[in-house]
Amino acid sequence: MNPLAGLLSERLSEAQVVDGFEAERWAVCGRVPQAVVFPESEEQVAEIFSVSREEGWSCVPGGRGSWLNGGQPPQGVDVVVSAERMNNVTAYEPADLFIEAQAGAELEAMERRTSECRQWLALDPPGGERGTLGAMLAVGTAGPLQAGFGSPRDQVLGATLVTGDGRVLGLGGRVVKNVAGFDLLKLITGSWGTLGMITSVTMRLHPVVAMDRSLLFKSGDVASGAALACRLAQTPLQLAAVELLVPGDGESGASGGASSPLVAVRILESVDAADEAERVVSERAGMPPFQRLDEEKSAAIFANVRAMEDGAELVLRLSLLPSRLPELVEMTSRLSGLHDPTAGWGMRLAAHAPTGVLRVMIAGMDRSDEWVDRATSVLVDLRRSLEAEGGSLVVSQGPPELVGAVGAWGESGSSALFSAGIQAAFDPASILAPGRLAQ
Amino acid sequence: MSESLTKKLGNRLRGVVGDAWVIADADRLLAYESDGLTAYRRTPRAVVLPQNTDEVSRVMGILSQEGVAVVPRGAGTGLSGGALADGDAVVVGTARMTDMLKLDPENRLARVQPGMINANLTAVAEPYGLYYAPDPSSQSACTLGGNVAENSGGPHCLKYGVTSRYVTGLTVVTYDGSIVELGGFGREPGGYDLLGVFVGSEGCFGIATEIEVRLLPRPEGVSTLLAIFDRLSDAGSAVTEIMAEGLLPAALEIIDGATIRAVEASVFAAGYPTDAEAALVIEFDGIEAGLAADVERAVIQCREAGAREVRTAASAEERLALWRGRKKAFGAMGQIGNDLMVQDGTVPRSKLTEVLRRIGEIGARHELLIANVFHAGDGNLHPNILFDRSDAEELSRVELASTEIMAVCVEAGGTITGEHGVGVDKRRYMSLVHSPDDLDAMRRIKAVFDPLGCMNPGKVLPDPPAVDGAAS
Repeated sequence: MNPLAGLLSERLSEAQVVDGFEAERWAVCGRVPQAVVFPESEEQVAEIFSVSREEGWSCVPGGRGSWLNGGQPPQGVDVVVSAERMNNVTAYEPADLFIEAQAGAELEAMERRTSECRQWLALDPPGGERGTLGAMLAVGTAGPLQAGFGSPRDQVLGATLVTGDGRVLGLGGRVVKNVAGFDLLKLITGSWGTLGMITSVTMRLHPVVAMDRSLLFKSGDVASGAALACRLAQTPLQLAAVELLVPGDGESGASGGASSPLVAVRILESVDAADEAERVVSERAGMPPFQRLDEEKSAAIFANVRAMEDGAELVLRLSLLPSRLPELVEMTSRLSGLHDPTAGWGMRLAAHAPTGVLRVMIAGMDRSDEWVDRATSVLVDLRRSLEAEGGSLVVSQGPPELVGAVGAWGESGSSALFSAGIQAAFDPASILAPGRLAQ
Repeated sequence: MSESLTKKLGNRLRGVVGDAWVIADADRLLAYESDGLTAYRRTPRAVVLPQNTDEVSRVMGILSQEGVAVVPRGAGTGLSGGALADGDAVVVGTARMTDMLKLDPENRLARVQPGMINANLTAVAEPYGLYYAPDPSSQSACTLGGNVAENSGGPHCLKYGVTSRYVTGLTVVTYDGSIVELGGFGREPGGYDLLGVFVGSEGCFGIATEIEVRLLPRPEGVSTLLAIFDRLSDAGSAVTEIMAEGLLPAALEIIDGATIRAVEASVFAAGYPTDAEAALVIEFDGIEAGLAADVERAVIQCREAGAREVRTAASAEERLALWRGRKKAFGAMGQIGNDLMVQDGTVPRSKLTEVLRRIGEIGARHELLIANVFHAGDGNLHPNILFDRSDAEELSRVELASTEIMAVCVEAGGTITGEHGVGVDKRRYMSLVHSPDDLDAMRRIKAVFDPLGCMNPGKVLPDPPAVDGAAS
């Protein structure tokens, strides 16, 4: 064991620390940590942070490691602190519609547990089902269901956080309405581990409704698909999701059909209401859906949407006001030169039409120095255009050399004044993923 | 005694907002001596009423140069004393900032000034088939700026969530007069969710001068029922069973026997039977075709829980009639008691019945009349304690009972306030739900926005513990 890993195993136990080749799969934006440590309690997390402050190490909190390549590359990566071994469900009260679990619990495990009582966590963040609750909150990203149910920030009721200076904070609680003091939960949601390590999370649940139905509409080209998605998002109904899906080169559509663009509308209602919603949506589309998927099949197509980032080497999140989705989609033509047309599936698009967020996933890039330079200039230009229009561009995942050059996050404006103060309030010694979040 | 406004400071403020909009004479300041929680009264040094972001910024710049504390104020309908200003503080009110700045029906967004009244936003959005979801009971009087400060709820947040879910962007002015943009729909640039932490900060971080909110499409249909119960606990069970059925009503509201009798004895009489011990208002909304089945299931649950009567509304007028008793409950109680102390604890839904029983015991022990009207679906209680402020001995019993009620809510796994905020009223009780470290973290975050501690001082956070035995 290297000296750093050795010191950590003295403070915790040998079985809770790995280094060397075992640490490789925990690389953060391409940088392998000197040790990965698996605490089993808040006290142990605080202990790890205490040693790190003494020794001047940089720590990156994580779950199962799926998001370690996301965000801005941190300035230092000495220790990855994984919540993987803190994964128990600590309270589930079906009558109160909440579940509380340790941060390392997998979303899939939550799903299994709550479905027994016909309840669910109405969130579908990118990254698939093996992601952890803590990572979902730390990243804070929402999926298509944001339209109907809000994002993680709207559904988290409480959390425990071990701050960089080793304090254990109990934030929020177990009840839906809670205004007892400043809402610090909002700050840790989407904080990418820079304020502390989330060790437990309490989430609001929803009852499972009688009908889960997805309507698929096909469109001839991307532009008309974007216009259709935009129009359907303005249906005067509260739809659970409206997603524009553009498969990559040679890929079949998410439904197994042809590779033309699709608009998938998800309806979560009682049976009678779902039929009526289908009628209203079809009327607005000016055509019947080419496919109607009920229950498991409806859930399955949206599970595919969650997994769309799998295998991508570059993931971008572009946004503009929802009514401008067609323009936003049009702007992706600027990215078409970034992948090798002969390798891989090229570029996939998935847009949450009601929120105006477009995900771009790219595979098959040569990643040469020349490519990095070209991609940097394309992305910087695109970000500038979007910001000028009140939108944004986030590099969600990508080659570290590219993300470093472009910057993961965009212009945060005058509010950046407060960011350093907030970080210092939770992590005065700046040991937590320094530089990971926009400053 | 309020420190009078010096001539020089008064003139500088008048230079920004105009002579008519700086209020410093004692008679007119009386209107600002309390908010909706009238048990606390103090007179501010002065009130300034700017009309836009630029004026707020200049006013705050002047006040911060002079080191004068600032208390933001909307319509003054708050129920925790959050808009109370000590004699050395100046109130910056939003009463003149009532404009709709931009309505974007296509994107279901509105940008408004903070003084706009909650219900007016829905009225403006209505022709486009849109509405603003959070609906505090005071919605015909309270302002959106106040809603942002308190992170307000309302009966329909059971299904739709509270204010923070709908605020997508803010322009705020901090104590030193800086203008800062937070959030904004259509962009997700990364960085801390400063917008999220600003909502519900009770005027302690700055003043919101422009508010961007999301609107929702008006649901196609609404169905309302009223179930009458002989026992409050049966109404509580009905709520539990309705939720367990997997139904998600837009609202689930209970008013207890004492409240029913207060309402029926007042000018707001709604035709609720006065011998009942609980009335449960249930509302479903959404696609018309799906409502009948939901209503039918809810009626069955009410009957099984022991409802002696279930009324359904067939028209918009009937629906308003069923709601009347709930909406006018506060007003009605104002008619039977001199003063009203309303508590606001939230408990997990399954603990409602037990907590209500214990609140009843607390009332009996302190010989106080406590009338309950509450958001049962999300466990947000509103025990109203009726009393006479001029009776000091009774007031002390009210304070004891309030403390005990909050402790019961916390013990049941809940919290001390669900939607009214901490203000001055509950800051003493913050340590019931927060550890010293939690409170310290809140203090540090306040200091990031307000390093001098001059924004709405003396609110939300209890005084820090005394150091080295010195008095704080």
